[in-house]
Amino acid sequence: MNQITKIALILALFLTSEVKAGEKKDSLTVKGDMGIYYEGYGLNKTPGTSTPDFYKARKPWNLLRYSFNPVFSYGKWEIPVNFNFNLNLGQNNFNPGFSGFGMPPGMKQNFWQFLTNPVNNFGIRPKIGNTEFLLGTQYVKYSDLSTGDLGIFGYGVNLAPGKFRIKLFKGVSQGPVKYIAPSIPNPNGIPGAYQRNQWMAQLGLEKEGKYFAGFNIVKSVDKTGSITSPPLFPIEPQENMVISFLTDVNTDKGWKYHIELGQSFFTRNLNAPLSITPVEDFKPFINSHTSTSKDNAVMLGIAKKGSDWEIGTKFNYYGAGYYTAGFQFMTNDKMEYLLNTRFNAWKKKMNIVGSIGERYGNLSRTAGPDLTKQIIANINVFTQFTDQFSMNAGYNNFGFNSPGLSGYKSVSNELTFNPVYTWNSTTMSNLLSGTYTWSKYDETTILPPTTTKNNTQTALLLYVPTFFSSKVSPDFSLMWFKNSAPTINLTLLTSTAGMSWKMNSKFKLKGQLQYSLSTTSPFTANKNLLVTSGFDWEVFKRFTWQLTATANVYHYGTELPGNSLTPIYLGNPAYFESILRTGLQYKF
Amino acid sequence: MKKYKFLLILGMFLTIHTLNAQITLNLALNPRPQPYLADWMYPINGQMIISFLPGTVVNDPSVKLKTTLLDQSRNIIGVSNINAARVYTLRQGVNQFTMADALQLQNLMLPGNVQSLLQRTGRLAAGDYYLQVELYNSGGDIVRAKQISHFTVISYQLPVLMQPANEAQLDAHIAQSMITFRWTSLIPASTEQTFYRIQVFEILPGQTPMQAFRGNQPILDEPAKRGITQYIWRPNLPMLDSTANHRFIWTIQSMDAKGIPVPNADMNTQGRSEPAVFTIVNPTVSVEKKIKNDVLNNH
Repeated sequence: MNQITKIALILALFLTSEVKAGEKKDSLTVKGDMGIYYEGYGLNKTPGTSTPDFYKARKPWNLLRYSFNPVFSYGKWEIPVNFNFNLNLGQNNFNPGFSGFGMPPGMKQNFWQFLTNPVNNFGIRPKIGNTEFLLGTQYVKYSDLSTGDLGIFGYGVNLAPGKFRIKLFKGVSQGPVKYIAPSIPNPNGIPGAYQRNQWMAQLGLEKEGKYFAGFNIVKSVDKTGSITSPPLFPIEPQENMVISFLTDVNTDKGWKYHIELGQSFFTRNLNAPLSITPVEDFKPFINSHTSTSKDNAVMLGIAKKGSDWEIGTKFNYYGAGYYTAGFQFMTNDKMEYLLNTRFNAWKKKMNIVGSIGERYGNLSRTAGPDLTKQIIANINVFTQFTDQFSMNAGYNNFGFNSPGLSGYKSVSNELTFNPVYTWNSTTMSNLLSGTYTWSKYDETTILPPTTTKNNTQTALLLYVPTFFSSKVSPDFSLMWFKNSAPTINLTLLTSTAGMSWKMNSKFKLKGQLQYSLSTTSPFTANKNLLVTSGFDWEVFKRFTWQLTATANVYHYGTELPGNSLTPIYLGNPAYFESILRTGLQYKF
Repeated sequence: MKKYKFLLILGMFLTIHTLNAQITLNLALNPRPQPYLADWMYPINGQMIISFLPGTVVNDPSVKLKTTLLDQSRNIIGVSNINAARVYTLRQGVNQFTMADALQLQNLMLPGNVQSLLQRTGRLAAGDYYLQVELYNSGGDIVRAKQISHFTVISYQLPVLMQPANEAQLDAHIAQSMITFRWTSLIPASTEQTFYRIQVFEILPGQTPMQAFRGNQPILDEPAKRGITQYIWRPNLPMLDSTANHRFIWTIQSMDAKGIPVPNADMNTQGRSEPAVFTIVNPTVSVEKKIKNDVLNNH
């Protein structure tokens, strides 16, 4: 499918939806939005080419993206549509392995690859009565311990007869990706991936807002024959099955209970020999291999909510072998608890939010002889002293400790104060806000015996005048940041002025100017100017056009002397970066 | 006379070896093998080599293996069942086996806690171990060769992202100039310096965080200073603007000194830690709106 055909298809979708939206049939309604977004990126460096490359392009040169999210209602039918996709056919996904999409540079994806590419989303969920069909890309989340957060391209159904809840879905979460060895034009190569198929089901009982209890079953299998040039070790075809029991209860007295118990079977390598040791088969779902493991996870939570207060606690345990292919990145081998609360005090002028918890890792001792321990504590107090003056104060503590000879310890303490003062005259209102953050981050390693002290301070002063009779709204800010550590002494000074001008009820002009000096001792300062301007325009009722252009000029100080580059450059390097963003959005 | 004695002993020695087959066992085990024992089937973990030279009297090429796993103090923690061991028929010359053949994972009897850990994780607890392999005749009653080899098992836990925490909200006035990222070290701290790579992805309109993470080009993709678990990013992006992307997802990729991703359960992730999402907020906008609303209400 070439670019022209694709754009024609998009325009057809656009026009069709407009026509449908405009029709005044009682039986058909369309609600939702659609939009087309473009982002252009430019980068000019001085010197243009050098070794090492002192600044790399950080965005695609052109990115065109389309979204189409209407909900069609016709009689008993309701069809939510969720399409959002990139229009760059030559794009290679950045993470070709776990994204399940990658191909040799220069090749274009075919239509099927375009539909199933995880960076795109083509999903519809037609619903009639208590039956819902799921087609295309879906983010199916039955529970925390089972299905996960990956987009899956497939089909399924959700049924809700009476109190019963029956859900089924089958699809592909990771397409096959050919292994490509590193070469001169493609030094990273492509690691490759097997096609990963997913099946999932939920059977439960529910009374909406009161309780839910049910079982989730999820199975994932990598198709070993899905790819002619399979990835190399250690990427192996895998198989995973998770069974979990989930219950949620809400009482009339404000109590909430959450319990989920899960067990996973995980075969890390389907090429390993079949064996009933160390884990026995789980017929008819799992034929065990020597690389199969089986482990459990538990999530418990209880909370009570009052009129102006809330308190809760939760406990999570993830065994070292607990794994769900729907959420590949989940950190396991840990146990954690958290207590949190929120309440008002001092005649409801003070609002306090706090939490404290601990996390223990390496429960299996596979990463050393000792447990790791992490403390997470934070408290935030907001006080409205008078109508004009308020103060927000916060304290965070993160501590991590892994004892032993290969140990590591880090402690982060952060304290923040944010006073806000407002005063009014007959013509204007003024807001003055200050933020000061003090942060101390110490890291200690046993071998070599070193403690790195990292101190950071941030101060921000913000002034916002609001003119009652003017359509111009300016704001001004000054920021100072200092980071001191043994290998770095960085100071950053930034001043910003922003303005928006509402020219009429439909058109707003906006602009922003920012100048920064960042100094890494003992070098001279890097200088940066960031200029942004644009508009928000309501072209027609429900149809808006936004445009923003940004110029970013950066001049290095002696931190990056030109004579450190090859070929040698006389003077200090600089770059000019430009970003143009525009979007058309229609709400219907 | 001494010369004759020596020749006599040498002659006897050679005669015995000619009558009996000569079998030598060599365990070329990687001293730091893969932590997942099922992965010992791959050559990276070493090889077991059995050389077989048949004799004139005893030339039985059939052998069985008995595997013993010992802890750091050479206490036995697991023994294979010789009766259930597979019978191998050796070829004349060099016979190569994988370390999985030497380990006999399917046939290894381990005590409760070690077996439980193996069932749950496919691994042994971190530490020093010895692998002893004895070569028996097919009857399982005569030891024909034996070797013991030391190895160390270590698994790594990937860093945990600390700051910005998952679902954190950052003030756009500060964040458009500077964002500080912090994470915990790889555990256990490697003797070779770990190489961390920070990656930040913009979540585009309509995208889910994981959609952005799986496909988008990262807006920041930089190595952190070696061994340092902090990175100060100077984004220089117009985050105060209403059309800018205000949601980001970030992670740390951990690599060894050679730049190879640290192994974990699913190598499709290439050593990336569980990602976290953060949002950029502009408090000025909400304050402005509040003031204007208050003014409208008062008038």
